[in-house]
Amino acid sequence: MLFNSYPFLFGFLPIVLAGFYALGARNREWALLWLTAASLLFYAWWRPVNVLLIAPSILINYGLARAMERTGQDKPGHTKIILIAGIIFNLCFLGYFKYLNFLGGALNDAFGTGFVLTQLVLPLGISFITFQKIAFLVDIQAGRVSRFTLRDYGLFVLFFPQLIAGPIVHYREMMPQFRAASCRFDATDAAVGLTLFSIGLAKKLILADPLSRLVAPLYGHAAAGVPQSLTEAWIAALGFTLQIYFDFSGYTDMALGLARFFGIKLPMNFNSPLKATSIIDFWLRWHISLTRFLTAYIYNPMTLALSRRRMALGKPVFGGRNTNLSAFLVMLAMPTLLTMLISGVWHGAGYTFILWGLLHGVLLCVNHAWRLIRPRFWPDTKRYNRRMAPIGFLLTFLSVVFAMVLFRAPTVSAAVMVWKGMIGSYGAALPQAVFARLGVVAEGLTALGIHPAWTSGTLLVEATLRIGVLLLIALLMPNTLEMLAPYEPALGVKPAKDPAWLRRRLSWAPSGAWAVGVACIALAGILSLGELSEFLYWQF
Amino acid sequence: MTGPARFIRIWLASLAVLAAAVAGINLLVDPYDVFGTPRIPGISLLKPAAKNHAMLAKTYQIARAHPVTVLIGSSSTHIGIDADDPAWPPDMRPVYNYGIPGGYATSASLRTLQEAIALGGVKYAFVFLDFQNFFVPERPAASPTEDERRFHLLPGGAANPDRAGQAAADRFLSLATMGAFVDSVATVLGQRNPALLNLAPDGSSNEADFSNAARTDGLYDLFAQKDAFELERAEALAHAMAGWSGPLHNLDIVARMIDLARAHGVKLTLVITPHHADALDLYWRIGLWPRVEQLKTELAGVAASRDPGVTVWDFMDYSPFSTEPVPRPGDRQTAAGWFWEPTHFRKQLGHIMIEEIVAAQATRFGAILTPDTVAARNRMVRAQRQAAVCGGGVVLLTALAKPIDDGCAAAAAVRVGGGT
Repeated sequence: MLFNSYPFLFGFLPIVLAGFYALGARNREWALLWLTAASLLFYAWWRPVNVLLIAPSILINYGLARAMERTGQDKPGHTKIILIAGIIFNLCFLGYFKYLNFLGGALNDAFGTGFVLTQLVLPLGISFITFQKIAFLVDIQAGRVSRFTLRDYGLFVLFFPQLIAGPIVHYREMMPQFRAASCRFDATDAAVGLTLFSIGLAKKLILADPLSRLVAPLYGHAAAGVPQSLTEAWIAALGFTLQIYFDFSGYTDMALGLARFFGIKLPMNFNSPLKATSIIDFWLRWHISLTRFLTAYIYNPMTLALSRRRMALGKPVFGGRNTNLSAFLVMLAMPTLLTMLISGVWHGAGYTFILWGLLHGVLLCVNHAWRLIRPRFWPDTKRYNRRMAPIGFLLTFLSVVFAMVLFRAPTVSAAVMVWKGMIGSYGAALPQAVFARLGVVAEGLTALGIHPAWTSGTLLVEATLRIGVLLLIALLMPNTLEMLAPYEPALGVKPAKDPAWLRRRLSWAPSGAWAVGVACIALAGILSLGELSEFLYWQF
Repeated sequence: MTGPARFIRIWLASLAVLAAAVAGINLLVDPYDVFGTPRIPGISLLKPAAKNHAMLAKTYQIARAHPVTVLIGSSSTHIGIDADDPAWPPDMRPVYNYGIPGGYATSASLRTLQEAIALGGVKYAFVFLDFQNFFVPERPAASPTEDERRFHLLPGGAANPDRAGQAAADRFLSLATMGAFVDSVATVLGQRNPALLNLAPDGSSNEADFSNAARTDGLYDLFAQKDAFELERAEALAHAMAGWSGPLHNLDIVARMIDLARAHGVKLTLVITPHHADALDLYWRIGLWPRVEQLKTELAGVAASRDPGVTVWDFMDYSPFSTEPVPRPGDRQTAAGWFWEPTHFRKQLGHIMIEEIVAAQATRFGAILTPDTVAARNRMVRAQRQAAVCGGGVVLLTALAKPIDDGCAAAAAVRVGGGT
């Protein structure tokens, strides 16, 4: 079921909330059971078979977790074996459904093998759920989770606001909240939830979706081998970057808002990533819960193991003035590239996603290397940050936009076509109707090699306006976390000590004016439900 | 009452009031003419937004129009044939224009004809055919489209079980969507614009789209832009037809139209729509003209074999109308003559077509095709082209899109070699 659908908004959600509050007034355990059952229905709505696939996996993980808990104190070695078995099981589960066809196809392409590719039913949100289950097992082994029941575990995995597309949550940050939840109607939580959900719905339907109709034909042309002019290629790249930005931002706001209706605060997942001044900064703002997972469960264990190994061999480790090239390559570049490769593969089974992950890995390595080298010739960090932040922003923005082409293009060759268009390999053209209205400017453009073409002027103007307005919103406006900071819209979010003028002006309060404003935003979103569209991140 | 509780109460009240206001405005303005709300001068007399929802608007309009004559076709019919043209005789009125912009498929024409007949009262049907539609086979969609769910009947003639649900959805979405609200506001704000696009209750358009573009960009730009589009289309069609030796595609759909009309006592006329020589010569130069002639021959044959009462009109030739010169680049003053651009003719030309069709006599251009006359007609059009294009009298923009040999030199060489 989509958050942005009539059945969800006018059927499922009101019924689930009414039932939750009514049951919670009598017995909070019943309310939580109701929430778990509703989450299962939410998951089954699209394809009931999904439940048959995911339920056994949940039971097996629960069984493994119980076994680890029992053997934990007496036989730590056995616990580790069960953990490894659990991780392998979960990765095989994910791999079978998501990557088997891709691997078979890749082997067929490379070696001419004859693997038969079958149409598998991909359980919704399988990548998110798998990571969450692995994190749970690792946390048990590390002693970060002590007591749990099947009902707790079921609710943790199935909680519908974050079930399909995150944020990727930890048991230890969710369960204390469920245990403390009153399961009764709370006006503050409901007001905050309404605001977050309304803004998220509008972001998704009013800001993100129209861009899809704009960029889809351009990527279709690239896939068909039709060259793109400079303007078309940049519209394709910028348009998709903003589409996925507002799509994911909108989804995250809706997830935060929905959880808040039940008195639950989800972790922060999206924090104005296009404002980042470096790629490292970007990954601390974009899909924060994924970065957190990859860092905690893949990158850190890898660097820790490598550090121990190098120390045992007497080689210098990474960090400080003693860092040499080999330490950088082995202890930072390699784990970073591997982690981002996994990030790419996690997003999708395809060469484009693999390359997207690797490209970001390379960018992160360059960023880290710069951070090591820069103090040697520019030691004044404060001054450096002040002077270079705009350049850092521009480089980061262009890198992210450039890489996003891989995220959207159906094939690597289509991405290369868009990239070549972006650097002007196929020439630069403007629609004749636009060209004819530029007067003397047109002569200057002609001198620069920009020529008129029989393409749609209306589309170009619409694309330029949309992209321009959305860029201004993304780069200048405070985000929802900042606007609602005094009410902790996500776990751990605190108000800034000295907020800027615009952030102060747009700071949310449960006032009448905000109620009318948010109602307008909500209505605009609801009225845009007519054309249903899926969230881009639901495919992962 | 605490702040957050008051917030929720105001939020709910505002949402309800605003939603009711939006639905009320959409019902009053009725931007897609779904509800048939009386048109109010200054508010909703003209309906510019209906163009982009033509199938939606027209399917509800025709149910209210109770036409005796129905015009079926694509955008050229929608724009170029006036349902209120004075040439329509009284016994054929009221006429409804069921031409669908963007509806290129011949199968879509069959479905709209079926819908018009299912509503009852139709005695005459004119189906305007675009020759390009016969070069690629049309495959039925795996599941019915939104437009098809709206029709009263399924393709096989049984009652459509999805219709009630789709009708409810159409009405709900016309009341409660952002797009409808934006279109309502634009409709009201645009009423003072003398050049506002309109979809009349009889399904006709006032051509404002093209007249506005011609005024701001000039006809030369319209022709050149469409030539570039049509070249791509012609090349794709030539590729699709390469090596094909059988009869042309989709004539079975035309045969079903003939059977449908005959079964319901509807007098059917098939019309091959006129194109400007700019477009015609693209197809000629790309080597598809023999296919065009094949279409005329096979269409005449299908009509004669299915129902001799069906008339086939061919307005696709190199007449003085279709070879009218295109104004020069930058010329925004010269008014359009007979064509807005290569594939869309003006209502003035549509008027002449209606006069000829009603009189059953080709006096100024076009011809009635029968199996006996089609060969002569094809020869005549070739001669027209020879005189117009190779004779040097007519300047076409065709070569702008892509320089392709016009074949005139080769034809002249053959004539010289043959001693003619």
